[in-house]
Amino acid sequence: MSDKVSVSLNVNGKTHALSVAPERTLLDVLREELRATGTRRGCDAGDCGACTVLVEGLPVLSCLSLPARLSGRAITTVEGLETGGELHPVQRALVQHGAVQCGFCMSGIVLAAKALLDHNPAPTVEEVRHALGSNVCRCSGYARVVEAIASVGGRP
Amino acid sequence: MRYAEPQTVEEGLSLLATTAGARCLAGGASLVSKMNAGQVAPGMLVSLHRIPELATTTETAEGLWLGAMSTHRTVAAEARLCGAMSVVRHAAGQLAHPAIRNMATLGGSVCLADPQTELPVALVAASARVEVAGASGRRTVPVESLLVGAFQTSLAPGELVTRVLIPRGVDGAVGHHLRYSRVVADYPTVSVSLVLAMDRDTCRYARVVLGSCGPVPLHVDAADARLVGTRLEPGAVAAAGRLLADSSAPLDDVRGSAEYRRMLIPRLLGRALSQARERAHV
Ligand SMILES: Cc1cc2nc3c(=O)[nH]c(=O)nc-3n(C[C@H](O)[C@H](O)[C@H](O)COP(=O)(O)OP(=O)(O)OC[C@H]3O[C@@H](n4cnc5c(N)ncnc54)[C@H](O)[C@@H]3O)c2cc1C
Ligand code: FES
Ligand code: FES
Repeated sequence: MSDKVSVSLNVNGKTHALSVAPERTLLDVLREELRATGTRRGCDAGDCGACTVLVEGLPVLSCLSLPARLSGRAITTVEGLETGGELHPVQRALVQHGAVQCGFCMSGIVLAAKALLDHNPAPTVEEVRHALGSNVCRCSGYARVVEAIASVGGRP
Repeated sequence: MRYAEPQTVEEGLSLLATTAGARCLAGGASLVSKMNAGQVAPGMLVSLHRIPELATTTETAEGLWLGAMSTHRTVAAEARLCGAMSVVRHAAGQLAHPAIRNMATLGGSVCLADPQTELPVALVAASARVEVAGASGRRTVPVESLLVGAFQTSLAPGELVTRVLIPRGVDGAVGHHLRYSRVVADYPTVSVSLVLAMDRDTCRYARVVLGSCGPVPLHVDAADARLVGTRLEPGAVAAAGRLLADSSAPLDDVRGSAEYRRMLIPRLLGRALSQARERAHV
């Protein structure tokens, strides 16, 4: 039996007051309580990056994050990237470059790429590769993914 | 499971004392992963993230005190970690990948004492000291005496790490970290942290430490001594590499066999020394 902890989660600009067991991860809470299933569960161990979200603009792994610690901090999931029905430029570029296969890894990749471009608007291909170090694509189509993201920053 | 968010170190210590098997929660990167896998189930989690003292950096004449809750990202961006101290900044900026560096902390790395991780290696190279708080007050110990085995520290139950001192070290020295991994962002097969000072072409000071080569960071005084006074010519580097390889007890795992790791040691040492030397002359 676990005590419940009250948390106020700010996800994509909306505040959710929740009461959760302390060992439940942000990934669990996003998918099961908030039904925001764009954030994927791969390994639950920090190895695949499918569960990546942004906390205050920085990529973190939601499978290793406890919501109790994130009360009040701005969390962005893939659902929060579209604005007014328009895809985020990273999402558009991935589609245009044919970089999406089964798409299981894509939420995490899109968020890691957004964080990179927000901090470094014109990354080199090498910088894109480093920023995606946390993300595994089981379909292993990395080349187009990297090209697509680099193209958003104006690099071919 | 109980969960608490103390606001001071003292409050944290009294919470840890309430439950046998209570654990500190720092970045959670390793602890939550083990909880997810069912490998640990602490009776209580004492989160350290609301204790301002633990996130504070202070500069003194001795060097830089980094709070235990400094994330790898913060450490990597700390420009005051210069000269010999830069070995710590370098290691923090290269280890794992951005998402882990945004979460995981200096104190968590030290307390986890995982032989494959790199900050403990860099801290030994920097001759760092660790401040430990417990029921009977605070003590400061060399990082080597905290790291006693694979995933084992000398922390007594109920103690916690508050901050780490990175001493300024030898004048004119540079710090350097080199990791060799199968792919960027994987745990390293072998890592090398070193502090080097040159007088023109002659090595005046060397402190070389290896990771993933035994249960704790591997440091061999005789290997350092073999480099000092030389021009770091291939013979000297090979001899130091041999001394290190002979003292090593490397892991045998998917990232490389023990034998492969022993072969890598002299090569990576040579590469790390020449990279450091280049930086020493800029
Ligand atoms: C997928 C993955 C990949 C990684 N890759 C690398 C890599 O390539 N190189 C590398 O060097 N490292 C790597 N790491 C390890 C990482 O750098 C951290 O060292 C590690 O996760 C611990 O830091 P944390 O702050 O998350 O600690 P936590 O997971 O919160 O805690 C770890 C342990 O330390 C205890 N603890 C934490 N802080 C304190 C304190 N102040 N006082 C007392 N006890 C404390 C906790 O109770 C727990 O037992 C990786 C980790 C993961 C999950
Ligand atoms: S599910 Fe979080 S990293 Fe794989
Ligand atoms: S597109 Fe299938 S996992 Fe990446």
